[in-house]
Amino acid sequence: MSAAGSSNPEFVVARVRARRGQLYGDEEYRKLVRMTPAEIARFMEESGYEAEINALGSRHGGVDLIEYALNANLAKQFEGILDWSEGALYDLIARYLRKFDAWNVKTVIRGVYTDASQEAIESDLIRAGEFDDRRIRRLLEADSIDAVVEVLEDTIYGDTLREAYAEYEETDVLVPLENAVDRAFYERLLGNLPGGEPTRQYEAFLKAEVDFRNATNALRLARSGAEIDPAEYFIEGGELFTRDTLARLARNVDELVEYIAESGYADELGPALRELEEADSLIAFEHATDTALLAYGDRLGTIHPVSVTPVISYILAKEREVENIRAIARGKEAGLSADEIESELVIT
Amino acid sequence: MLEATNALGNAVLSTGGTLTDPSAAAALAVGLAALGAGYAERGIGSAAVGAMAEDDDLFVNGLILTVLPETIVILALVVVFIV
Repeated sequence: MSAAGSSNPEFVVARVRARRGQLYGDEEYRKLVRMTPAEIARFMEESGYEAEINALGSRHGGVDLIEYALNANLAKQFEGILDWSEGALYDLIARYLRKFDAWNVKTVIRGVYTDASQEAIESDLIRAGEFDDRRIRRLLEADSIDAVVEVLEDTIYGDTLREAYAEYEETDVLVPLENAVDRAFYERLLGNLPGGEPTRQYEAFLKAEVDFRNATNALRLARSGAEIDPAEYFIEGGELFTRDTLARLARNVDELVEYIAESGYADELGPALRELEEADSLIAFEHATDTALLAYGDRLGTIHPVSVTPVISYILAKEREVENIRAIARGKEAGLSADEIESELVIT
Repeated sequence: MLEATNALGNAVLSTGGTLTDPSAAAALAVGLAALGAGYAERGIGSAAVGAMAEDDDLFVNGLILTVLPETIVILALVVVFIV
């Protein structure tokens, strides 16, 4: 579990491939959509989530139990992957999994801001990133945002957070802090990637993700018509947009749609863009980006079988499974019909 | 590992000039084949252990696949009997 020494893709890929076979498929999803939350929890207990459901079953119930069990299982699996991998492989995987660190930091900051209790914050954390238990404990014990920033001083978020904290003190809104965390994460994500053909493919995937994130943000801003500077939400590293083109395009939905339709992602996103023009609904577009990323991830794992790409492909598939089950459980809770829930799922 | 092979080759070339003794050449061939088999087993072995950690039933398959490259050494051993 360190970035030193040579990497061991054979071992990690073999384990990850075995785990991938245990993920839910079409058949299981069809069953899950027709179950009540309690039945879903039972179904999960009988498949790969047994330990988590049993551990959390006494404290939570219903949809909350499903949600916490999913988060706990996700964290356990990804921590495991980081534990096994060594050398350059560790570095490449940690880059992507740091997004859970970013999520945890944001959760803690929001929790402190709204005076939430320590237990409430703790149950929303996903311990899948690089932070160890000691740092998470110290984060949870922090009673002010200043203290949170201090705990993170020696991490990659230290400098940017310190700068953003000054801005936060003036305005008392969280946006600068959250932006600072995101920016620190994305800077590390794509900076100094080592060479090699598998890594290039990994990089292309990461860039597509950044592009889609930018496109979704821009579409949301353009449709809401809010007077927010789009450049503030711009994420560096993608290929589709620069800060200037995004700022210009976010003022006009039609131009933006046209710009995306003429880009390299036209094949994947074309149908969704037409739907966006006709039905004026962003949901189809967000689904299309998710499906495109997942399909890309599946393809990614087959070209270079002994490299970082199958591992990333598994991480994506696992995340998708967790999101799908959560969508089913939440949909059931809200009383949606099976067909409606099925249209919300992202399955390849 | 590959650097070691180079060093070995250099050492052989610098001491004897050209390799003229058939037995020595055969020995070298077996040694190099064993080296190659070891390198192949390194990757297969770690993948097999990974698969076994997930599913104990894979022990037999893992063992068989791990020792498959060993055949290279056995084939190389034939050279010893021919010369």
